[in-house]
Amino acid sequence: MTDLSAIPAAAASKPAIAPAKEPFSRRMMPWLLLAPVFAVMAFAFVAPLLVFLEYSFWRFEYGKLIEDFTFDTYVEFLTDPYFHTIVYDTLKMALITTLCSVAVGYPLAYALWRITRPGLQKWFGLIIFSPILVSVVVRSYGWTVLLADQGPVNWFLQVVLHLPEPVRLVFNLTGVVISLTHVFLPFVVFPIYSTMTRLDPTLREAAMDLGAGWWTTFRRVTFPLTLPGLLAGAPISFTPARGAFVTPQLLGGGRVLVLPLQVFQATTDINWPLAAVGGIALLVLAMITVAVSNRLLRYSEV
Amino acid sequence: MTGRLPHYRYLLLGAFAVAGVIFVISPLAIVVLNSFSSVAYNVFPPEGYSVRWYENLAQQSAFYLAAVRSVLLALSATVVSLVIGTLAAYSIVRYRPRWSDLIKGFLLSPIVLPNIVLGVAVFMFFIRTGLYGTYFSLVVTHVVVVLPLVIAVLTAALANYDWTLQEAAMDLGAGPIRTFLRVTMPQISISMIISGVFAFITSFDQVETTLFLVRPGANTLPIEMFLYLQKWQDPTIAALSTVLIVFAFLIVSVLSLAMRNRGLPLAVLRQDKEKSE
Repeated sequence: MTDLSAIPAAAASKPAIAPAKEPFSRRMMPWLLLAPVFAVMAFAFVAPLLVFLEYSFWRFEYGKLIEDFTFDTYVEFLTDPYFHTIVYDTLKMALITTLCSVAVGYPLAYALWRITRPGLQKWFGLIIFSPILVSVVVRSYGWTVLLADQGPVNWFLQVVLHLPEPVRLVFNLTGVVISLTHVFLPFVVFPIYSTMTRLDPTLREAAMDLGAGWWTTFRRVTFPLTLPGLLAGAPISFTPARGAFVTPQLLGGGRVLVLPLQVFQATTDINWPLAAVGGIALLVLAMITVAVSNRLLRYSEV
Repeated sequence: MTGRLPHYRYLLLGAFAVAGVIFVISPLAIVVLNSFSSVAYNVFPPEGYSVRWYENLAQQSAFYLAAVRSVLLALSATVVSLVIGTLAAYSIVRYRPRWSDLIKGFLLSPIVLPNIVLGVAVFMFFIRTGLYGTYFSLVVTHVVVVLPLVIAVLTAALANYDWTLQEAAMDLGAGPIRTFLRVTMPQISISMIISGVFAFITSFDQVETTLFLVRPGANTLPIEMFLYLQKWQDPTIAALSTVLIVFAFLIVSVLSLAMRNRGLPLAVLRQDKEKSE
């Protein structure tokens, strides 16, 4: 196949003048096709990030930006306990969200896998997948209504379970985590489900035939073999959860201060150096996540 | 195995599945229910039903204009990213240029970048270059956001494409452009539609990247809703959300119809499986 593809188009139609070497225009073809994408990426991705990096070395004094080359903002960010709390809260929010979405997503993927009726399976899959199509703003709004003190969840808790007073579920970390779990659930379910469908059914049958019960089969065969899907799904939830902005803003009620909100706040305050340093901290966290999840995936495949 | 009577653990799993469906559906269902409420505050069970929030919504021209702006912006970003993304994916898969893995990694890297960081960075960049507030700045930013999605889907589709078909067309005398349009593109059209739909939805829902870029009074729909929600919590936003949910439902219906006619999701899964094996 590679041999065939090496034959230039001109040579195929006019074999008499087939050149011995690929012409220059043909060698340039792949780069020509990539040029528009590179132009867009250079203009709206690389250049803005460089400008962003540059602002992180500037100073912000008396409400003004001062062009400089200083590490002051970095030092401030790394030494001030206020920012430590923000980073800690960001990681805590992302971690709890990830654990929740995996804890909910794994059994749902398992259920999706075990449903044998194809029609039911299709509908179940569509329902789990459908929230992706609805704006995060709409979903976050839905959760503020659902979890409010006079909302349906508290109505249920009070009328059915007879709790004496409403449980505070919204405008705190609980509400943010519940809503974020809802947002990332589909992204976690599908990688897990796809590793389950690749699982060789004879392995489970062999385990059952050899006398293993349902729980032993799950613990010793199904779970270890679907672990890569789980480990692939976890960062899919962790990465965007750490960068989530809309949900903490709408459901946090000002009490959940995470890095994306700090970046937003600093930008509106024209303290761009601080916004840039906060953004770089987010980026560093992102890179650590990618490195750790790659390492975990490699271990789980061995 | 499957013919056995429902065991307690199947009942348990079924109960969990039902609970999962309720969890997934409930925030959308409550929005629809709330939009027919007769009072301005959120209370459950609703005190009465009315369509006054839909009447109120109908009078808010800001939302119409924002919706039109969002659709146009998402359409532009989708078309641009599909065209340049297809060219790039074709180049990476077909020609395997030097460092092709590196190039692909670079093109996919915006996924890892938190959107709020990209939004603030492009804002600072466009302020400095004097492009702030232009339509161009919005489109190009949204293209960067949706491009990784398009490239990921299309490189996977092209990797599974039978390239001998293309060679056959070329051997039979079709030019490269005609070959692409008549032979290659029909083969990857499903992936192009999927990535196009996702690109549209992603661009349409952008808040973080758009928030700083839009001029005051020229907001996109999600920004308009986001800002409205920070000020008021009345069910007008529920009425608007219901309209959006209906649209999403229509998209799902059309997609599932398309799936039924073309065996779509299974085909994608199968390709994926073959690739990994």
